[in-house]
Amino acid sequence: MLKRVHFPASPLPYLLVAPQVLITLVFFIWPASQALWQSFLIEDAFGLSTEFVWFENFEALFHDSQYLASFWRTLVFSGAVAFLSMSFALALAAFADHVGRGAGTYRTLLIWPYAVAPVLAGALWLFMFNPTLGILPYLLEMVGYEWNHHLNGTQAMLLVILAAAWKQVAYNFLFYLAAMQSIPRSVIEAAAIDGAGPVRRFFSIVFPLISPTTFFLLVINAVYAFFDTFGIIHAVTQGGPANATTTLVYKVFNDGFVGLDLGGSAAQSVILMALVIALTAVQFRFVEKRVEY
Amino acid sequence: MAGIKLENLIKSYGDTRILHGIDADIADGEMIVVVGPSGCGKSTLLRMVAGLEAVTAGRILIGERVVNDLEPSQRDIAMVFQNYALYPHMTVRQNMAYGLKIRGMSRAEIARRVDEAADILELRPYLDRKPRQLSGGQRQRVAMGRAIVRHPQVFLFDEPLSNLDAKLRVQMRLEIRKLQRRLGVTSIYVTHDQVEAMTLGDRLMVLNKGVVEQFGSPIELYERPASVFVAGFIGSPAMNFLPVRVEGDAAILPNGARLPAPARAAGEATLGARPEHLTPDEAGPVAVEVEVLEQLGAATLVHGRLEGTQHEMTVQLDGVRAPEAGRIMRFAPGQLHLFDAASGKRLAD
Repeated sequence: MLKRVHFPASPLPYLLVAPQVLITLVFFIWPASQALWQSFLIEDAFGLSTEFVWFENFEALFHDSQYLASFWRTLVFSGAVAFLSMSFALALAAFADHVGRGAGTYRTLLIWPYAVAPVLAGALWLFMFNPTLGILPYLLEMVGYEWNHHLNGTQAMLLVILAAAWKQVAYNFLFYLAAMQSIPRSVIEAAAIDGAGPVRRFFSIVFPLISPTTFFLLVINAVYAFFDTFGIIHAVTQGGPANATTTLVYKVFNDGFVGLDLGGSAAQSVILMALVIALTAVQFRFVEKRVEY
Repeated sequence: MAGIKLENLIKSYGDTRILHGIDADIADGEMIVVVGPSGCGKSTLLRMVAGLEAVTAGRILIGERVVNDLEPSQRDIAMVFQNYALYPHMTVRQNMAYGLKIRGMSRAEIARRVDEAADILELRPYLDRKPRQLSGGQRQRVAMGRAIVRHPQVFLFDEPLSNLDAKLRVQMRLEIRKLQRRLGVTSIYVTHDQVEAMTLGDRLMVLNKGVVEQFGSPIELYERPASVFVAGFIGSPAMNFLPVRVEGDAAILPNGARLPAPARAAGEATLGARPEHLTPDEAGPVAVEVEVLEQLGAATLVHGRLEGTQHEMTVQLDGVRAPEAGRIMRFAPGQLHLFDAASGKRLAD
């Protein structure tokens, strides 16, 4: 027979989880439900009357070519940020894995960008690429290329992608390095004896073995690019020029706080919420299972 | 096929010297076992031959070629690791084919060699499995397969059996021996297990603190150990050592008993007698106070102390014997060994 340990009923466990539950309620559940509620409402321009409209806000969104364009733009942006920051981090980690002396210093230096706030990261890149003051447009002009992200939408997009990717490299680097160092040394040595050079070893042994980490980082980076890049975009381009860098999360802010379309903005954030939930579900469902050594 | 030659091989990490000039001449097709306690430098020696550790000084020759500065892949060697080091994301077939594919061999030839190795090692049914779906013994065989498909000039084994259970270890030991004989590939096998060393090696290199204590055939090492270290390391249960004083032809034990000295010496020395070389004899000069008995079925181990002293002695008796604890048993010594008390080196017979 299964014996179970019974503890006397006590309010203590409830007290201990109360702070966490309270924080979740106040800062997550409440605003989320507010957003959900708001997404069913339309307010007039002066905020005097509110009407319950069911899914009208959502319908309007999916017929709004600007919103659909922003959806597409966000996918490109996220894909580029994830690919750029992950591949760069992977290369750095592959090198760091080989460093013997000074490895600690090297790693510490590489981790620093992660400690920089998004807005500051944006400001840094903004100064570097400022069309009149920046060093890089100055250098580009010497080779005959004109840089002005205030006017050129593609350049603006490139700039926010670079800034967002740069900030995430450190995080990805840490995970990749840890993954590489958990591969048994002897497996690499066996491949070396089998005749595989460093490049071949990397692509046929190391990369397949760290694929669970790659998958995990892909989801994390996608979420990052979707949501945490607001600060960078706000500091660098404010969504411009001509909405060229208005991603979904920036559009939520812009439509809600600048355009004051509260219902439409709320509907957009509900869609974003659904996306995060889906990504997280994918994460839990697959990452946990696919780890193999 | 090729022999291996080590010439005054030295390895240092910074100021710490790990290997102090190893010399060895290994004939083509010979199997050498490097044996010693952990930290003696045996794995380092093997990894230097493999090309995984840089050579500080000295030379390594495989065949006629100095391989000091060659990459592991250029040395035409194959290595079996202690933890097998299989590629976890590849099937057994892919694991074995990996090295051949890199060498640009044709598909048909790769398939032929893999099938051949799979037949030798009885791995046919497992070719499409991943390593994690295999037992320890099967993984070990895949690691062997990966080594033999390449038809290398040299096999290197780094304690390949120490992760297996006792029964499997004995079985795999035999398989490795048979395989090595059959293929006739020059091999270096590293282990800390003296039974493995005795059964596998054509010759044994006993390594202690980076120095070769003795290099010779298993029987040579057993019958004429060159030092106290070798004498104590080879043979199970371990040899008994007693401090003696040699006077003329007699060695005087700490309790005053006199034995014929097996070698010429004067003054203090160390006398060695294997547990299996002491035979019960009512009139024998060696008296042992019995303390503990270990019944092994085929033999009985008697643990005790030399009568009247604190010196521990072990004696191996044939069959099941049951002398009571506390009793005094007398033995006649068979083969005896005499070592220098200070250096531990064998004294000439």
